[in-house]
Amino acid sequence: MAEGIHLTPIGDGNVLLEPGEGLDPSDPGALVAPVLEFLQTNEARRLVYDLKNVRLIDEVYYAWLTKLNATCRIANVEMVTVNMQPAAAYALSLTLDKPTPFTCALDIHHLR
Amino acid sequence: MAKETPQEKSTNQILIEQLMQNVGKISAIIEKEGQNIFGHKNLLSNNEINDYSLEFLELLTMLLHAGDKVDRRGAEYKALRQFFTNFSQQIQVRGGDMDEFVRYVHFLQRVFLENLEADKSVSFEKTREILMLLGVIFNDIILDVFHIYLEGKEKTIQAQQEELRLTSTPITEIWDGVLTLPIIGSLDSSRTMIVMEKLLQRIESDRARVVLIDVTGVMAIDSQVSHHLIQMIRATGLMGATAILTGIRPEIARALTSLNIDLSSVTTRSKLSEGLKEAFRQLHIEVSRPGK
Repeated sequence: MAEGIHLTPIGDGNVLLEPGEGLDPSDPGALVAPVLEFLQTNEARRLVYDLKNVRLIDEVYYAWLTKLNATCRIANVEMVTVNMQPAAAYALSLTLDKPTPFTCALDIHHLR
Repeated sequence: MAKETPQEKSTNQILIEQLMQNVGKISAIIEKEGQNIFGHKNLLSNNEINDYSLEFLELLTMLLHAGDKVDRRGAEYKALRQFFTNFSQQIQVRGGDMDEFVRYVHFLQRVFLENLEADKSVSFEKTREILMLLGVIFNDIILDVFHIYLEGKEKTIQAQQEELRLTSTPITEIWDGVLTLPIIGSLDSSRTMIVMEKLLQRIESDRARVVLIDVTGVMAIDSQVSHHLIQMIRATGLMGATAILTGIRPEIARALTSLNIDLSSVTTRSKLSEGLKEAFRQLHIEVSRPGK
């Protein structure tokens, strides 16, 4: 698996992605392939991206998220972000001019 | 042209002599007027008025002794100004206003002039010089007092604005997972920042699923306010909660249309109660009367 990405199947077709130290969002091309391979191997229907430890979502990080979402869509996997921190949500809302292409949920227990 | 002889007294000397000769009379007049101005509202006690009067005369004498010309940077002048600064602050803290204080300072100046008028030995030239000297001293004092008064007012206004900000955006949990945010007044950038910060923190701490943003109290809307509203709704969505905009009055709706603001992606309801019903629908909550 790519450095800084931890993937765990959590049942019911869901896979949890926990970003960690070492994740380099500036090169999304190199990261999406191994993630997609894991999703397909585990027959995932939904990728749950945990943003609990992400303090700031800047343009580079947001580009990585949208790229990952686009790749998931191609593979018929829904991407949902959870646990976005208030400060990150505030900063991101200032830069966005349209809604995010992926779904946002409060936490893993509130997935629709 | 009349030349000033070495024997001629300086302006300061004349004033000092007048003070020395009439100190009892001057201090009595100052104390009496002080009691008239500050005593009737209980701003100062008689003892305080007497103390202030004596201290003022002492400081003024020290200033006049310091040199023929008033040195604005001198310690004596600074001490006199500081005395009036403290004095006016005390009056302000006790509920007095600037008018009373300025009236008192003017009166002090007048006492000296009246005393001077009674002394026929002082030439017209010297009287003019003394008048200018007193003008310089007392004008600076009045300016200081004015600045203190303005600073005090500004602090009060800032404190009131802060209190208003805090109380005008009460975020309340009206149901499990449902928050209400009534917005009253206008939304500028700094207020949006505060409201958003509070709202996003409450969404996180209360695990809120729906936020009802009620704009019934928003009197006018422009492109900036609507932009801030959309920003707030978007940030709520990023946190995983749904925002419902309620209380859009016809005038606001018309303004939004004329501003070409697209709210098609935002759930809107006419009233807060309708918004609550929509929140219940989204949360799959059914509310019914008992027995029905």
